[in-house]
Amino acid sequence: MLLVGWEALFFWLLTLSALFAAVFTVSTRNPVHCALFLISTLIATAGLFLLLRAEFVAGAQILVYVGGILVLFLFVLMLVNTRSEVENPFNRQDKAGAFIAALVGLALLGAVTYTQQRGGFFKTKPSADRLAIENARPDPNAPAGVISADTETLGVTLYTRAVLPFEIASVLLLMAIVGSVLLARDRRQEETYD
Amino acid sequence: MMIASGPWMLALNASPKWLESLVEQFFAYLPAWLTSNLTPTDAADFIVWPLIQIGVMLVVVLTAVAYLTLAERKVSAWIQARVGPNRTGPLGLLQPAADGIKLLIKEDVIPFKADKTVFTLAPIISMVCAFVVLAVLPYGPHYASITNINIGLLFILSISSVGVLGIILGGWASNSKYPLLGALRSSAQMVSYEAAIGLTIVSALIFTRTFSMQGIVEAQRSLGVWFVLFLFPSFIVFIVSAVAETNRAPFDMAEAESELVGGFHTEYSGFRFSIFFIAEYANMVVVSAIGATLYLGGWYVPGMDWVAAQLPEAYREAALTLMGITAFAIKCGAILYLFIWMRWTFPRYRYDQLMELGWKWLMPAALANIVLTATIYIIGKELGLVRSVEGVLQMDWQGKVYFTVAGLLAMFPILALLNAINRNSKSFNLRAQRTTIPISTRKVKLSPGVKPA
Repeated sequence: MLLVGWEALFFWLLTLSALFAAVFTVSTRNPVHCALFLISTLIATAGLFLLLRAEFVAGAQILVYVGGILVLFLFVLMLVNTRSEVENPFNRQDKAGAFIAALVGLALLGAVTYTQQRGGFFKTKPSADRLAIENARPDPNAPAGVISADTETLGVTLYTRAVLPFEIASVLLLMAIVGSVLLARDRRQEETYD
Repeated sequence: MMIASGPWMLALNASPKWLESLVEQFFAYLPAWLTSNLTPTDAADFIVWPLIQIGVMLVVVLTAVAYLTLAERKVSAWIQARVGPNRTGPLGLLQPAADGIKLLIKEDVIPFKADKTVFTLAPIISMVCAFVVLAVLPYGPHYASITNINIGLLFILSISSVGVLGIILGGWASNSKYPLLGALRSSAQMVSYEAAIGLTIVSALIFTRTFSMQGIVEAQRSLGVWFVLFLFPSFIVFIVSAVAETNRAPFDMAEAESELVGGFHTEYSGFRFSIFFIAEYANMVVVSAIGATLYLGGWYVPGMDWVAAQLPEAYREAALTLMGITAFAIKCGAILYLFIWMRWTFPRYRYDQLMELGWKWLMPAALANIVLTATIYIIGKELGLVRSVEGVLQMDWQGKVYFTVAGLLAMFPILALLNAINRNSKSFNLRAQRTTIPISTRKVKLSPGVKPA
């Protein structure tokens, strides 16, 4: 992907807002505010997915993370007494946390440098026909369903080429659901249903 | 196969010719550095025309929302054998304006212990999420829709799921008991029913084959049918979940007046309250528009192409657009009336009944419907009743009859499944449920001397 014009502007805008929101996510004391900044980060990332022409991933990101997971986050945060967190400024694990964060940051930096030396993310120029597809303007009077191939492509790819990760993720989620049900049931309920 | 994406992914419908020439003339007066990277066509298509459309849509939808509140009060009055608002203007038609002015000039109170930033942010989130979605709705053919994006339906679903945040944050930031309870209830409710809505839409996608809202309408136009015929069980699940999703009676847990004072917006007053109010009604409009698009053919009515073909060439497009907008408005209005009707005729569900209905009735029904619809489609394909040509479905009248009959027959296995799942708790009457569970294994044992946990 070559960054030119509006794309570059949106890229930097979204990246910087994602980064700043991410910093605020870990530096704010009030957990609900943290969750709000996390939402901003996720939405900015969804915008970056749009720039990568991954519309479905962007939509799914907002639907699943912001609409589902973060709502449940907030749900839990409201039930927990968060005042002690706000009022107590000390965290005894800050040194260990800083060390791990620095380690992960260094690893990320190394990975980026390594990839950059091997050819880079943005150095490959897209082929002419790929550019033609990307820059094509859809015909407003096109017949029905011309753009519908996208959903079909997605479905076919998900259930043929990506079927193993898909199934693994499903089994993982199923395990989480069964586990949470098992943990939530108390002994009286066990007796009732057995 | 063409994958339409790229910079024009958010492609807008082309602007009319007269606008292009107008913009071209206007360009002569602009400084060169401003116009060097921009052609007049692009400026007209991507800047001027969308802004005009957005302005028109905002005015239209805000007016519609205002009169929806009046319609709600009028219909409720008729249902309860009253007259309803009739003092402001003829037939009470100026009532929304009076309400608006009243809410605007009221004092805007922010509670002393509230989280002020979040308190002010919450109504904005609600409002923005309700109105952003209007950009992708297909109001009609040609000039009548603002944008047509590939992920239209997914976009609507994801943005309306963000709208839940407005309610939760509003309830939390008030720092008060009833709003918090209302917010917790409503977030649990909306998350549960979102799952049902998402799953029921999947079975519709088997026939629409696209997320694009215009594409969904075009799919029904090319077949000449409305998908409600093929997807009747899915339509019922959608309508029930949609009422719950918009937090309306009989699912108005978020603001159950008799239990929670006012629910999540108890502490809100004046203009901020009215923003929540507008967002709620705009959400109703959006949900009814999704229903109309997915199941009732959107702006398409069988025979409208024939009518347009009778007209002279020059008027054809305009006539089609006008007919489309009218049909879309009528369909949305019908669904909205259904919502109002339901609100004033059904008693409110208890909270556990609400969760039971969401997870044990609607969710299995939607899942079973996906399996059944897919099976019906595959069988139809094997029988040669339906073909997929470059993503477009094609079928003869035999195929249409087959899918309609099969779609209606699919009700029976679904009902059998629901019956099997809920055989112990089929009755929402708690006393009837208790008699089915043996006394020895009841959750709370009331023996003397032992206090129930």
